[in-house]
Amino acid sequence: MGGVGEILITLGVVLGLFVVWQLWWTSVEATAQADKVLTEFRATLPPINPAAAELRTDDPPVPDPVGYGETIGTLVVPAWYGLTNNAMPIAEGTGMDVLDQAMAGHYETSQQVGDVGNFALAGHRRTHGNSFRHVDDLEKGDQIIVETAQTWYVYEVTDHEIVTPDQVDVVAPVPHHPDQKPTERLLTLTTCHSLTLGEYGNDHRWITYATFVGWMDRADGTPDQVR
Amino acid sequence: MYAWIFRHLPGNTFWRVVQSLVLVAAVVTALFLWVFPVIAPYLELLGGDPAVG
Repeated sequence: MGGVGEILITLGVVLGLFVVWQLWWTSVEATAQADKVLTEFRATLPPINPAAAELRTDDPPVPDPVGYGETIGTLVVPAWYGLTNNAMPIAEGTGMDVLDQAMAGHYETSQQVGDVGNFALAGHRRTHGNSFRHVDDLEKGDQIIVETAQTWYVYEVTDHEIVTPDQVDVVAPVPHHPDQKPTERLLTLTTCHSLTLGEYGNDHRWITYATFVGWMDRADGTPDQVR
Repeated sequence: MYAWIFRHLPGNTFWRVVQSLVLVAAVVTALFLWVFPVIAPYLELLGGDPAVG
């Protein structure tokens, strides 16, 4: 076999290995890291009270902002049970160093969880834990739950849209209306999407909107879909 | 190239095969741990930044 042929075959094999690395190995590393962060975070929390309780609809407590990379809480998406790691840490910031650890990253310019405005999160679609891989499975009314040290916050999906990556207005306090004063409590998920490659591309962004439906003090109980 | 390496490995065929597998494993490990993480940002086909802005 000629040397040129060997080099071409080698390049082909290396490219194949790169795909394996990106689709499989990055997730192995990232989910291990996310599990570690989750375990450490939960170790600092009081034990879960498994009782059922009514969701409260008065003004929820709003946690203080934390520093870049610090853990805010946990993102639980019951519709993703059995599909991906459906409980993932939420950390402050949307840098790749945060997102590559299979965590949801909180846009630093967006509001805190429970606050009036937009609690906006970014996560990988494929690779690095496939954090938001099944975002396209979410339907209107599906719950998105945020767990913090003191509180459960329950949101329900209202809508989604596919936008170009420069559409930063989707994480504004009032999405698409950066000048308006917010009156609602929203949660927004942003992740990669491709018009041609679906979950495998990143030429667009998949944006899922959810609206706040209630909260629960951890001491009082646990939301139905988490128990 | 590969035939040349194989010929220059010491021992009988069995040991040469074993050494070849070790070499392949070492190369794959180096690619996974050091090479791919460095080049991944330049090949944003799959991974990409999922944030807007």
